[in-house]
Order: sequence, then structure tokens, then C-alpha cells
Amino acid sequence: MEIHDRQADGVTILSLRGSIDAMTAPKITEFIQGQVSRGNIKLVADFSGVDYTSSAGLRVLLGAIKETRAQGGDLRLTGVQPDVLKVLNLSGFTNILKMFDTADAAVASYS
Amino acid sequence: MNTKKRIALVIGSGGIKCAAAAGLWRVLQEEGIVVENVVGCSGGSMYAALIANRVDVKVMEEWSKTLWTSDIMQGYTENLKASKDGSLRFTERSGLVDDSALNRKLREVYGEWKFSDMKMPFKVVATDLLSGEKVTLADGGVFDAIRASLAIPIIFPPWEVNERLLIDGAASDPLPIDVAIQDGADIIIAMGFTLDYRARFRSMTAVQEQLNSIYMNNILNSTYAFYNLAHHAEIFPVIPEFDSTISMFDVDKIPSVIEQGEQAARMQLPHIKRLLENV
Repeated sequence: MEIHDRQADGVTILSLRGSIDAMTAPKITEFIQGQVSRGNIKLVADFSGVDYTSSAGLRVLLGAIKETRAQGGDLRLTGVQPDVLKVLNLSGFTNILKMFDTADAAVASYS
Repeated sequence: MNTKKRIALVIGSGGIKCAAAAGLWRVLQEEGIVVENVVGCSGGSMYAALIANRVDVKVMEEWSKTLWTSDIMQGYTENLKASKDGSLRFTERSGLVDDSALNRKLREVYGEWKFSDMKMPFKVVATDLLSGEKVTLADGGVFDAIRASLAIPIIFPPWEVNERLLIDGAASDPLPIDVAIQDGADIIIAMGFTLDYRARFRSMTAVQEQLNSIYMNNILNSTYAFYNLAHHAEIFPVIPEFDSTISMFDVDKIPSVIEQGEQAARMQLPHIKRLLENV
């Protein structure tokens, strides 16, 4: 799992590449917690490089959503691939997550 | 492949589509993935039982072709008419189908099986018609448990087990991952099926059937969402996608259904193996 971050208009864009599962979940959790501890609570996760999300991966996402929202921020998604979208649909995440077609649209949604 | 993690297999409700479980079972066997216990619901309970007794996939396929024939719905049309004109008195023990053919076919396979004699631990989920509670069956005769779990309300008569009147497990828990969680499974491989929706409605029964599909699919999604977040380890959903609608008696499509089950399993396989290799 590779994670890179960049800033755009006060929003932190996290680009993830690989699978989100029990093996990679701790790294993602640590990375997101690091962002939040630095006050970066407006997050956009670019999933265009994510090919798979397991149940452990979904729990990471939920934790990040709750943590950022509790502080007035959010975690919003972009670039979700069809196989990952299926899992998000099945697990009800599409009901609570905000998803956008592009990273620019996700960033703009915070303004 | 050895692993310290406990692997459970859950086969959800889905009628004839549940034959896809044979394809999943084939993949798990070929890959040496050792399942420790099996849970089934409704149509899925029939295949879960066969897996729990390590029945060969070819035998599953042949048996599927003999089960899913129209005679298991004998009496439906006549009784439906009779229920509408009032000549059939409906009670909590009634169904529109004369279930003697279904029971005979199920007894031919499961009639002598006891839960205590199964080759791996096996449980079946049904629903209490009077209380609405989910009921997990793991003792006594396998036939009774499967027959109860299959009892689609109104269509098949409920089945009494341990003095409880039971119906289709799908009414309370169509993909009973929670049973595997309670039993201590770490890795749960869960094969589930959604019900197809109609585009045209020509009768009140068709509307009722559509409503049933909507309810069931929403129960599946909401329970899956909760179990997914509640579980401490991994749940691998295996959801076959079918090219066309699979109707209850499409026995000619059974080889294709099994193939779709195998394909869906192979899509999850790299992720399952990756986890097993790293624990």
C-alpha cells in the first residue's frame, strides 16, 4: 500500500494505491491519524489506485470518517473503482460517505 | 495451506442460485483452504449441509438438477385460486404448496443425517413465525432444520422444530455471518445472493413477490453492513453475478450457476490467500 498526501485549498488529498485489507489497515490508520493530529481534518481519499477493500479496510474508513467529523471535518472519496464501489454499496457505506467523480470536485465540496 | 485463523463458510438464501456454492466449494478444495465450520440459510442451508459432509461437487450438481423441478410447487396454482375464493382456509400452518414432493426429495438426501454426525460443524438459520426471532438450529435431524429454513412464507407450509413453528431463515438473517462470528470464526467467507426485481406486474401476487424481494435485499444489506463493522477480522463476500435472471426451476442453468459461483470465488481468492499467507 502506497499513500501520498498533498494540499489543495486547505484540503488534504490522500492518494492510495493497492488493497485496503487487514494487512494494510494499520498503515492507513496511522497515516490518517497523523494527518488529523496535525489538524488536517478536511480529507479527500483518492481511491483511483485502490483495487480492493475488505471488511478490515472498511472499518478503517469508518474510523477516519468518525474521527474527522467529530472535529468538524470529513473524509470524502473520489475515483472509486467498480469493484470497490460494490463493497461500499453492500456494506452501506455509500449511504454515509460523500463520493465525487474527481478530486477537484471533492475539494470544492468543502468550500 | 495451514493457518492459525479459523475459517468459516456462510451460504446465504437464494433458492436455486445457491447451487453456486458448489463452485465456491470446488475452488476452496482445489486451493487447499481448510474450512472449519459451515452455516447456511434457506436454499443455502442445503448446500452448506452438503459441504459440511464433504459431498463431491459433481454429486451436488446432479442432485441440484433433481431437486429444482416444478413438482416441488405442486398444488400452488389450485391452492392460490382456492385461497382467493375462500374455499381454502389459511392458518399459520398453511402454505399454498403441497410440500410432499419437496419433503420426499429432501429426505432422500438429508433424511438420515444428524448434526452430530456431520463431518464438520454445521448450523442452519430459520425464523420463528410467531415471534419473528432468528433461530439457529444445530441439534437433531438435518432434514428438519433445512425444511424449516426453506419455508418461504405463504408458499411452503412452516415446519415445526422443538415446538416452534419455523419459516424461511431469510426473513430474519439471509446471510447469517453473525452465527459464524459468535462461533469464533476469524476469516468468514460469505456467499450471498440478492433477489431479482421485476419490471412488469400483471397480478397482485407479482407485486407481493416484488415487495418480498425488496424487503429481503434490504435485510441482506443492512445485516451485512452491521456484521461487517462488528467483526474483528475479515469477511470475504462472494457475490455471484448472473448474466440472466435465474428462475426457481432453471435446472438447465445449474452448470452455469455453479460456474458463476466458481468465478466469484476466484475473484476473492487472491485476497483470501494473501491474508492466509500473512497470518
